[in-house]
Amino acid sequence: MKTNVKQSKTAKNLNLYGAKHGKSYVVKEAPDLGILKCLGVHEGAEIFKKHDYRLGGPVLLMIGTCELAIGKDIAEQISISEVN
Amino acid sequence: MASCHEVKEDSKILQKTNKILLMGNPNVGKSVFFTHMTGIHVVSSNFIGTTVSYTEGDLKIGDETYTLIDVPGTYSMEPTSEAEAVAVRFMESGASAVICVLDAANLERNVKLALELQQYNIPTVYALNLVDVASRHGKEINAAVLAQELGGPVVPTVAVKSEGFDDLLKALEDVLQSDQIALCPGVCGGCSSCGGGDQPDLWQKAKDITRKVTRNTDRNPSFLDRLGDSLLKPWPGIPLALLIIALSLGIIVGGGKVLRATILLPLVNQVIVPFFKMLFSSFVPEGIIYNVLIGEYGIFVISFEWIIALILPYVFLFYVVFSFLEDAGVLPRFSVLFDNIMRKIGIQGGSMITIMMGYGCAVPAIIGSRTATTRKERLIITAVVCFAVPCISQTGALISLFGNFSPLLLVLMLLLSLFIMVIVSSILGRTLKGTVDPLVIEVPNLLMPSAKSYFAKLKIRMKGFLVEAELPMLISILIASLLKETGLLDIIAVYLEPLVSGWLGLPKEAVIALILGIVRREMAVAPLLSIESLTALQAFVGGTVALLYLPCISVFGILAKEFNTKTAVVIGASTTLSAFLVAGMINQIAHLFI
Repeated sequence: MKTNVKQSKTAKNLNLYGAKHGKSYVVKEAPDLGILKCLGVHEGAEIFKKHDYRLGGPVLLMIGTCELAIGKDIAEQISISEVN
Repeated sequence: MASCHEVKEDSKILQKTNKILLMGNPNVGKSVFFTHMTGIHVVSSNFIGTTVSYTEGDLKIGDETYTLIDVPGTYSMEPTSEAEAVAVRFMESGASAVICVLDAANLERNVKLALELQQYNIPTVYALNLVDVASRHGKEINAAVLAQELGGPVVPTVAVKSEGFDDLLKALEDVLQSDQIALCPGVCGGCSSCGGGDQPDLWQKAKDITRKVTRNTDRNPSFLDRLGDSLLKPWPGIPLALLIIALSLGIIVGGGKVLRATILLPLVNQVIVPFFKMLFSSFVPEGIIYNVLIGEYGIFVISFEWIIALILPYVFLFYVVFSFLEDAGVLPRFSVLFDNIMRKIGIQGGSMITIMMGYGCAVPAIIGSRTATTRKERLIITAVVCFAVPCISQTGALISLFGNFSPLLLVLMLLLSLFIMVIVSSILGRTLKGTVDPLVIEVPNLLMPSAKSYFAKLKIRMKGFLVEAELPMLISILIASLLKETGLLDIIAVYLEPLVSGWLGLPKEAVIALILGIVRREMAVAPLLSIESLTALQAFVGGTVALLYLPCISVFGILAKEFNTKTAVVIGASTTLSAFLVAGMINQIAHLFI
């Protein structure tokens, strides 16, 4: 039951950090950071969240064949939506 | 082919007109191209930011000699770090041609940079590198269509296996001779002829081109791909990472001891030193000169005993292990796994690679910290390296020192250095103004290092150690020898006795370690080895002083250069103060119980 509540909360305002791993998403909004843009994390980019790490660790994601790790503070600011 | 130097000041080179620039994203293999084309070996690794300055070398094409420049990798012409700003300055200064290296396995991002580079109207050839990795990932790229889309020749290459270089040089020669600027195919990033384009447009164009030239095939993950994936998951990644660290330490410490005991020590004690003793005894009369040459602190005794038998085995094995981990792409995985712990102490996982470099030598680590995106992060990394990270030469000396007592002392020293690292980082994280950006890192593929570039790198590093370390070491040995022979040492020892013997509880001969430690870090340890009456506590206290003591002269120089003299003085003064404070406290507290 607990998991369901958590999921419905994150579904309303889905950010990369809170989203489930093992799924594909589309970036809706990302912080205005040069390095993120350069690596391809920009509005409309399709990403696959591969893994997240406990205790405030980063999020591991794939953009195409490229693997990226993004720290918690930034991952929380990246809003995403699920790919239909 | 002769000239090669890593140049720190780039105003003169920017004015040169016959430049050929090697451009591309970080970690696409530009340095491997440079090495192959100029015959000059530069250090390359399998993670971003290895080339933070640039290297130049001569490249002969036809009758013309050009200056080939290995430019630091950049994702975009809107720089996010100092290393990337160097790349932008080079493009803005103009060039005869650009070799744009593209990563076939991450084409979209690379094509986007290529489109940005086209804005500078410089003739360009494209090296489509890492086609083997792309194929393992189920991607096949049509080079001919890509050439059409980019308006310039595209040559498929596998740089680490030297495949495609001849074709690339031929294409470069054609481009230089035709003297034609890459034709604007209407998809470029916005040169004046087609009206410009902003970043989202470029991404869309790059995406369209990538889609057009890529064919998906079956993904065929190798053992290394699977191992690379496992190393990124906390389970089994963290146990595997700890195992790798333990194994590395085992190879360096254990292997170093074996090398030392079986080969180097007998070589020095039974061959080299007796040879020089015999040689000088035959024509130098006994006296000061004789002692300076081959006495207790004689140059021809100590320099071989310390440099070859004491330091060299550990330096060699450290670089054997570290270069392998660098080239294989293991280190960025550690950054990801341990980012959460690093965050807690005020830095981020990506800084871990730079700090680990410091275990080799602080100088490249401080230069490497240029990849940090904020000044605060750079300062924290630098301070941590200066305070708590012993360079490998010093570690070698500490291993030898503690080896006479118990391996437990080495473990305690390691824990002390980690403790100091946490304290320094936490204090600076909370007190320095500014921010530390969270981790954003590209995880490279795990690769088996190419034997050629691995051994070339090992050779450069060992040569660097021998050339750069030898002179300061000889100078410090000469100083030691003169101080001892002239009796000055005894006079200084009287003045420093309250500090050395009173507060730190060390024998008065240890004074020499404090004097020589200013020149080289291992010299703050090495003299302790020849004190026969040294106790385990004194060895540990002496080791603590050495660990925290002044950074060596080279480090002081690089601090002044990379930051300013004030920073260098502040770091130097605080490390020295903390050395006496911490080591003295250890001594005083221990005496309460002993």
